[in-house]
Amino acid sequence: MPSFIARRLLWTALTLFVISVMVFVIFFSIPGIDPVVALAGRNPAPATVAAIRSTFGLNLPLPEQYLLMMKHIFLTRDLVSYTTGLRVLPQVTAAAPVTLSLVGGAVVIWVTVSLMAGLVAGVNRGRPADRILMIVGMVAISTPVFWLGSMANLITQGGLHHTVFGWVPPPGYVSPASDPLLWVRQMVIPWLVLAFGFIGIYSRVLRASIIEIQEEDYVRTARAKGLTEPRVLARHVMRLSLIPFVSLLGLDFGSLVGGVVLVEVVFGLPGLGMLAFQAASGLDLPVIMVTVIYGAFFIVLSNMVVDIAYAWLDPRIRRK
Amino acid sequence: MTRAELSAKALPPGGPDGAGAARGAGGHGTALHRAARRLRVNPVAMASLLLLALIVALCLSAPLYARYVAHTDPFPSNLAGTTIVGGKRVPVIQATQGTGLGETPVGPTWDPRHYLLGADSQGRDVAARLLYGGRTSLAIGASSAIICCTIATILALASGFLGGVADAGLSRLMDIVWAFPVFLLAILISTVSLTQGLHLGPLSISTTGMGLPIVIISLIYVPYVFRPIRGQVLAIREKEFVKAAILQGASSRWLLFSEILPNVLASVIVFVPLMVAITILTESGLSFLGIGVQPPGASWGTIFADGESLIYTRPWVAIAPGIMITLTVISLNLLGDAVRDALDPRALDSGRQR
Amino acid sequence: MRPIAKRGRAAAIISSAAVLAAACSSSGTHTAATTGHYGGTMTIVTQSNPGTVDPAINYGTGWFELNVTNDGLTAYRKVAGAAGTQLVPDLATALPAPTDGGLTYTFHVRHGIRYSNGTVLKPSDFVHAFERMFAVHGPTTGTFYSTIQGAKACLAKPATCNLSQGIVADDSTYTLTFHLASPDPEFLDQLALPFADAVPPSAPMKDVGTAALPGTGPYKWAQYTPNGEIKLVRNPYFKVWSPAAQPAGYPDTIIVKLGVPMESEVTEVENGQADWVASTTGLPSDRLNQISTQYPAQTHVNLATAIYYMALNTRVPPFNNLQARQALNYAVNRNALVKLFGGPKLAAPSCQILPPNFPGYSQYCPYTANPAPHGHGPWTGPDMAKAQQLVTASGTKGESVTIVNPSFPLGQSTGLYFEGVLKQLGYKASLKLLAPAVQDPYAKDSRHRVQISMSVWYQDYQAASDFLNILTGCGSFQQGSGSQPNISEFCDPTIQKLMNQALALETTNQNGANSLWAQVDQQVTNQAPMVVMFNPAVVDFVAKRIGHYEYNPQWGFLVDQAWVQ
Repeated sequence: MPSFIARRLLWTALTLFVISVMVFVIFFSIPGIDPVVALAGRNPAPATVAAIRSTFGLNLPLPEQYLLMMKHIFLTRDLVSYTTGLRVLPQVTAAAPVTLSLVGGAVVIWVTVSLMAGLVAGVNRGRPADRILMIVGMVAISTPVFWLGSMANLITQGGLHHTVFGWVPPPGYVSPASDPLLWVRQMVIPWLVLAFGFIGIYSRVLRASIIEIQEEDYVRTARAKGLTEPRVLARHVMRLSLIPFVSLLGLDFGSLVGGVVLVEVVFGLPGLGMLAFQAASGLDLPVIMVTVIYGAFFIVLSNMVVDIAYAWLDPRIRRK
Repeated sequence: MTRAELSAKALPPGGPDGAGAARGAGGHGTALHRAARRLRVNPVAMASLLLLALIVALCLSAPLYARYVAHTDPFPSNLAGTTIVGGKRVPVIQATQGTGLGETPVGPTWDPRHYLLGADSQGRDVAARLLYGGRTSLAIGASSAIICCTIATILALASGFLGGVADAGLSRLMDIVWAFPVFLLAILISTVSLTQGLHLGPLSISTTGMGLPIVIISLIYVPYVFRPIRGQVLAIREKEFVKAAILQGASSRWLLFSEILPNVLASVIVFVPLMVAITILTESGLSFLGIGVQPPGASWGTIFADGESLIYTRPWVAIAPGIMITLTVISLNLLGDAVRDALDPRALDSGRQR
Repeated sequence: MRPIAKRGRAAAIISSAAVLAAACSSSGTHTAATTGHYGGTMTIVTQSNPGTVDPAINYGTGWFELNVTNDGLTAYRKVAGAAGTQLVPDLATALPAPTDGGLTYTFHVRHGIRYSNGTVLKPSDFVHAFERMFAVHGPTTGTFYSTIQGAKACLAKPATCNLSQGIVADDSTYTLTFHLASPDPEFLDQLALPFADAVPPSAPMKDVGTAALPGTGPYKWAQYTPNGEIKLVRNPYFKVWSPAAQPAGYPDTIIVKLGVPMESEVTEVENGQADWVASTTGLPSDRLNQISTQYPAQTHVNLATAIYYMALNTRVPPFNNLQARQALNYAVNRNALVKLFGGPKLAAPSCQILPPNFPGYSQYCPYTANPAPHGHGPWTGPDMAKAQQLVTASGTKGESVTIVNPSFPLGQSTGLYFEGVLKQLGYKASLKLLAPAVQDPYAKDSRHRVQISMSVWYQDYQAASDFLNILTGCGSFQQGSGSQPNISEFCDPTIQKLMNQALALETTNQNGANSLWAQVDQQVTNQAPMVVMFNPAVVDFVAKRIGHYEYNPQWGFLVDQAWVQ
């Protein structure tokens, strides 16, 4: 196990390196891109432009600039944004909890609902309950999430704002530490919007697993032995059906933690997705780099965790 | 188990579990025939196919609608235009009441000849743009999906077939690219290539039109399709009959074209409708953010973006494209499911009802 | 999706409310009528972040805060209306007339003024402040302050900047003398900008970022969390020394909530949870309707001294041809463009470079149907026939034109409009939209040969040269630079001579200079280096409880002069 983890960590480092180089290359492939322009302000003198260029190391060859940027991110931790001139890392650490709030709450909701929905559908396969749940699930996967969020805003902030949805505050974010009740009120609609699509996916995954596991020989044996259905479900079916469910959850959570651009933009949540998008529009390379590395790190980490957990949980694989 | 294997569960089993109805020379043709027949008798499949066909037909009729029904050109601005509402001629962009700040476009008239769904902030007919937008979104979706699946399949075949270092290298590369948060990658490449267009050696793609979104969206999903297909290729290579064939002296080219490719093809066919759904959603997301289809081009995403700035006064400009996207993606997903079920022999072999 | 425009504040008179306003606030003293209004907390909401609040670097995004926390030697009178464009002495006792042929300015610095950290203000603080400005690469060091002796050397070697020859401070007699290498008639205006504000000698020689410096103003920085909140509280060491330059502020505390989404900004003010929307990009268009009809009394509209224009590249076909440029000016329906911006209440059509209510402005529009005699009248409508005539005469018909505009909604809509007009004139037109951060330097860089692009210009300070010499002056154009402001690459030696004359005359005869500038404006407009579209208005949406709303032409809404109770 230790060597496995060591290898995976090395692999993580390699992945992050390649990805950061990709960002660098993509960014500097814009002909004539000159970050100094944003830093220098309006109508600067050529001498000022030159001075800023050398202060920020922007006249160095690209590989040196890359190393300089990595140094500022990981060693001295004082990387500065090209658009605001402020430090990047505090910006990212301020945005991360917002995304975490959004994703965390949504995960709780979608896991709870899809467990129930998937179970009911899987057990009642072919019957009305199954069909209805699968139709709802189908609609859920097919609805564009930004449109759903916009419609939610239309309903809660528009006409019905003063009646039914008076409790929904205007778009924005307060930290749960300063005002927990307001935080919940603000996040409920974004949570539901983000969770909706995933409920569709996860209930289907669980249903498919349950159906498949139900056909396994040892389940049939258990039934033949006379075990009651709930017992069969609980002891034999669920445990293995949950394996793909949980692994998918790990992977999705890992990729969401890096930022959910569309939902954050629609609801005005200042999370990592919004930060990354604004940075991309403003060609703010330092912020882009940090958000991409952060996001990629969690994707790779979650892949590793899921692989380890999978090998641990599924005896069939462990033996391989 | 990686996500690839999880999504491989969506594929028809070509592995040890499958009954291998596609096995053996001459069995492939009948297998696809059988699949088609299953599809034909599946009511849900037929209904979704019908819905899809309807949407496609509607969108393809955009020029006819614009010219003969609405009498409008939905691409240039029409700020000074007028139209008829309730028998009276009114300006398309109207001044607001009160202190008169801001301008408001005319709302839905529910009359196909006069701004059925109202006008957007440029004074253009939203209904006509919706149909043209559908053409663009569907074209981008279909092209990206097919290009993506083609590239991924070729790479997966090469990788799985060649094995060894090539396979290891290619899969590792795909893993790394897939670790890049996919939407951020799309955003970054789009923003960058929108400055000058994309120039890959002799190939040059301009920033207007559909070329750029198609290229970008196809490329970012290649790793996603690559992995399960490669898994399939490897699985087939390990099968008894393949090993037997090799022992009997069959050439690798024969192996590739008569055994591996047809089986893999089934999986790819299942992937196509699902990928079209994904690419349509991605394109509309990118256009919403302003980095997909560029004005004056219309796509469901750009129309929605126009509608966002009018959301509280003229909500239909935002509501309509979302409905269209949802209906299209639903029909694609249902179709995808049905195709997968049709290619899965277990569906009928065990006589179980679905 | 949402642009970040660095705006200066700007303005003009709309009504005689200006007279009332002046009477109300110019004394700044506590009268029985006004005492009750001191106190309370003002809450401002904004979508953006001011970035670094180092006064030497911040270029407009943090100015309404810096103007109440810091002071310079001079200031613009802190009142509404035309009176608000007058320079008055602030930390200096009087505005000096330059001597030595415009090369020397001797100031007497006020005694007894303290920073918010208790340090006493001394003249030598200014030497440090200016040297610091160069050391941190302030954006205007090269444009506004390079005439100071020793500045050129500082530009070349900022780290070792030594201005003790150019700025001589005597802390015993409390005098401060500036020695310029060449006359700069706008020097006193430039000293009124936050770049030249006094900072304590302890201020570090690097960008302070979010750690705001102590200042001499009525407020001090208590907190600045990017994307969170700014909090300004009363400066305990502040005493009113010049009610005209820096009166006492009314609210006790000013809170600025940062990063608030556009829609929420408006909702919070409607609900009374905030007092003002500080918007850099204008209010969301779908709320303008609501604000107009439901909250008209809380909406204040002031025309800004700014222009929105399409720059025409005078060195690249087809717009290197004068007739082609003029044709486009005749063809454009400025009312349609005004509609795109939000209607006639939010923008005024214009044909000329200088904005109304600005020094040197004299209404001039030759590019209209039925022009007034000698063009001294307003724009009334497009003249497509004349435009077509000119295009044919120019011989440029059928050439390809690519419009390069920023991708935010206004850029899209104006781009589409111009594409249509160019096609009507017979050109092969196409539109290219770029992210705002990319479009601006891209269009400015002569290497890209951009033919036509959209831009906006707000004044830095109240001087015609800030528009004409910067946007169309020979000296301001630089080849291959993404930050140079002369996007049209315009240079006319004859007109430049007139500009230099006008500049020189400013030292002795401001009125004479103004009429010369009016002539420059006309001549440049005749050469049509750009299609000026309109002058935008600033819409201030304030809460119901806000009283004494004052709009200063240079700075905009004077936040500390408003009443919250």
